[in-house]
Amino acid sequence: MSQFSSIALPQIGSFALLLALGLAGYSFVVGALALIIGGPGSERLGETARRAGIAAFGTILLASVVLVTAAFTDDFSVAYIFHHSNKDLPGPYKFAVLWSGQEGSLLFWSLLLAAYGFVLRLRYKTDPGLFAYASVVIAGVQVFFLLLLNIAAHPFAILEGQIPPDGSGLNPLLQYPEMVIHPPMLYLGYVGFTVPFAFALGALIMRYPGEKWIQITRRWTMVTWGFLTIGIFLGAHWAYSVLGWGGYWGWDPVENASLMPWLMGTAFLHSVMMQEKRGMLKTWNMWLVFSTFWLAILGTFLTRSGIISSVHAFAQSSIGSWFGWFLIITLATFAGFYVANRSHLRSEHKLESIISRESSFLFNNLLFVVACFVVLWGTWFPKISELIQGSKVTVGAPFYNNVAVPVALFLLVLTAVGPLLAWRRTSFESLKRNFMWPAAGALALGVVMMILGVRPWKDISYFYSLMAAMLAALVICTVISEFVRGGRVIAQKTPGLGLLGSMVHLYHRNTRRYGGYIVHFGVAVVIIGILGTPFNREAEKEMGFGDKINIGPYTLVCQSYTQDDNPNFSNEWAIINVFKGNDQITTMYPERRLYKASSQPQTIPRIYPTYSQDLFLVNDLYVVYEGRNEETGRPIIKAHLNPMVPWIWTGLIIMIFGTVTALVPNAAPIAARVPARVQTAPAVGAGD
Amino acid sequence: MTVFLICALVTLGSLVYTFYIPGEIYTGPVKTRLIYLRERKEAVYDNLRDLNFEYKAGKFPDADYQEMKTSLEDEAAAILAEIARLEQAAAIAASSLRDRKGARV
Repeated sequence: MSQFSSIALPQIGSFALLLALGLAGYSFVVGALALIIGGPGSERLGETARRAGIAAFGTILLASVVLVTAAFTDDFSVAYIFHHSNKDLPGPYKFAVLWSGQEGSLLFWSLLLAAYGFVLRLRYKTDPGLFAYASVVIAGVQVFFLLLLNIAAHPFAILEGQIPPDGSGLNPLLQYPEMVIHPPMLYLGYVGFTVPFAFALGALIMRYPGEKWIQITRRWTMVTWGFLTIGIFLGAHWAYSVLGWGGYWGWDPVENASLMPWLMGTAFLHSVMMQEKRGMLKTWNMWLVFSTFWLAILGTFLTRSGIISSVHAFAQSSIGSWFGWFLIITLATFAGFYVANRSHLRSEHKLESIISRESSFLFNNLLFVVACFVVLWGTWFPKISELIQGSKVTVGAPFYNNVAVPVALFLLVLTAVGPLLAWRRTSFESLKRNFMWPAAGALALGVVMMILGVRPWKDISYFYSLMAAMLAALVICTVISEFVRGGRVIAQKTPGLGLLGSMVHLYHRNTRRYGGYIVHFGVAVVIIGILGTPFNREAEKEMGFGDKINIGPYTLVCQSYTQDDNPNFSNEWAIINVFKGNDQITTMYPERRLYKASSQPQTIPRIYPTYSQDLFLVNDLYVVYEGRNEETGRPIIKAHLNPMVPWIWTGLIIMIFGTVTALVPNAAPIAARVPARVQTAPAVGAGD
Repeated sequence: MTVFLICALVTLGSLVYTFYIPGEIYTGPVKTRLIYLRERKEAVYDNLRDLNFEYKAGKFPDADYQEMKTSLEDEAAAILAEIARLEQAAAIAASSLRDRKGARV
C-alpha cells in the first residue's frame, strides 16, 4: 500500500460523500422549490436541480470506487476495510467488500439509487413535468441515505491507533461465488422500487391526467421485479449451497424481508393492468406501489439494524432509529398527499362480474397482500411479543407454511384461470370452451401420480403436493393453449409460417402478455420443484474407509478423507463415491473449511443433481461434511436426497427469460377499425 | 496537497455541470385533456384489438364477443366524440384569435 493511498483514499471518499449530500440536498430542495413556484423562470431552477442529481451520481460513484480501491490496496487504516477484508482474500471477494458490511452496503444502496436516478434524469424528455416530480422524490430518498452515510454509518471512518498489518477478513458465509452477485441483484430490486414509487408519488402530487405514468414506469417495475426475483432465488440457492442444512428457504426474517416487497411488487405488476386497460384500481395501485417501496426500506432496516435475530442480520447498530423515522416520514408524506389528492384517483369503471379478468386480478392481489401480511406478522412477532410480554416468541416454518401453502395453491389457480377469462364478464360457455383441455390435462396428471403411489389422504403434505402438481400442470396447459390458439390465428393469416413460427410471431406482437405467460410457466416449474419437499430423505453416519450410506436408490461409499491448507483457509474433506445399483455415477468431495483471518469454520456441501439418471423426476444428492469424530479421526457425513429441487432453479431461468422477453418492444400493431358511432356518442367523464 | 487538488477539481466539475446550462431548456408539451383522451383512445383500441384476436383464437362464443365489442366500441365512440368536440373548440378559438390579430393589423 502506497503512502498516498493510506492518506488520500479515506479523505477523498469522505469528501465525495459530503459533496454528494450537498448536491442531492440541492436537487431535492431546489427541485421542489421550482415545482412549487412553477411558471416562467422556474424551468432554469428545475434544470439545475436535475443536473445536481446527475452530478450526485458522479460523486457517489467516486466514493464507491475509492472504497473498492481501499479494499484492493489493503488500506486497513479504513475501519470498514479492516473489519471486512484481509490481504489473502481473493480478488472477487475484495470487490464484494463494498456490500459485505453495513456502511459499505448503505453506500452501495446509495450508488444504485443514484444510478437509477441518473438514468431517469437523462430520460426526462419523455415527460419533463412528471420526471421533475420523480427526480425530486428520488433526491429526497437519496438525501436520507447520504445523511446516514455521512453521520451514522461512515464507510471511511479511520481506525484509531496503529494500522494493523492485516484485516479481520470477510465473513466466511459470504465467501462463496454467488455472494458476489446475490446482494447486488437483491439491492437492484430493493432500490429499483424507488423509481415506480417516485413516479407514482409524482403523479399523485401533480394530479397527473391519465395512466401514461404507468406506461412510463412499466419497464422500470419489470426490470426491478426481475432483479429482486433473481436476488431472492440466488439467496435461496446460496442458503442451499452454503448453510449445509439441506434446505433453501427457512423463513428467516431477512429472507422474509426480501419476500415482502416481492409479493407486493408482483401484486402491483398484475393490478396495474386493470388501471391501464380499464382505468380501475387507481387508489389500490397507488398504495401497492408505496407499500412495495416502504417494505423494501423496511427490508433494508431489518437487515441492517439487527432489530430481529437472523443469520443475515449483520450488525446491531444505531441506524435502526434513522430508518424508523424515515419510514414514518415517508408514510406520513404519502398519506398526506393521498388525502389531499384522492379525488383524482376515482375509478372510471366498476367491477361488472365476479367471473372476469378484473376479478381474477383482484383476488390475485388480495392473496398477495394476505401472504405479505402473514410474512410481515411472523417476522415482527418476536419483537411484538417482546414488547407485550417481555419475552421473545419466535414463529417457525409451520406458522408460515400453514398459510403460505394454501395461498400459493389459490394463486396457482388464478395464474391458470386469469388469462382464460375475458375482461368485464365471462359466460359459462366461454369457461367451458377454455378450460376443458387444460383441466383434463391437470386431472390426468393427478390420476397418474396416485397410480404411482402418492396417497393424498395419508398426510396433508402429500395432499398439498398432489394439488400443487395438478395446478402447476393446469398453469402449464393454459400457457401452452394460449400460445397454440394465438399461433393458429397467425398461421391462418400467413400460410407457410408454421405453428412454431406463428407462435414466435405472436410473441413479438405482444411481448408483455406472452412474456408474462412464460413467467407463469416458470412459476409452475418452480412449484413443481418445491412440491418434492415432503419426500425428502436424509441419513447420517461416521464413515471410515469403505463405509456405506444407503439413501433412496443411491449408495455412498467413503473412498478416503484428507486435509489441506492455503493462505486463506485450512480445510478437510472426504472423497465419496456414489453408486446407483452397481454403476458408479459420480464422486463427491464434501468439505469443511477454517478461515484463518476470522477463525470461523464453514461447511461446503456438495450437490449432485441426478439429471442423467432421472431426467424429469430429478433428485439432488446433497452431501455434507459435518465434522470429525475427535476419538476416531473419521468424518461424519450427512446425506440428503431432495427430490425435484433442480426444477426450482430451472424455473427461475424460465421466469427470467419471460421477464426479459416481456421487456422487448412490441412489433408494430395492426390498425384497428374506427367505430362508426363517433358523432352520436355521449362524452366521457373520466380524467382531469 | 494532492487530496486538496482532487477534491477541488471534483467540486468545480460538479458545480460547472450543475449551473452552466447552455441553450434552451426542453419543457415538453403541457398535458391537456385532449392529450389524455388520445391516450385513452389508444388504450381502448388496444382492448379492441385484443378482443378481436382472442375471438379469432376461439376463446369466446359469438354472443359474448358481440356484447364485449359493442361495449368497447361505445367507450371508444364516446372518447372520439369528446376529442372531436375539443378539437373543434380549439379550432374556433384559434380562428377567432387570428381574426382579432388581423383586425388589429
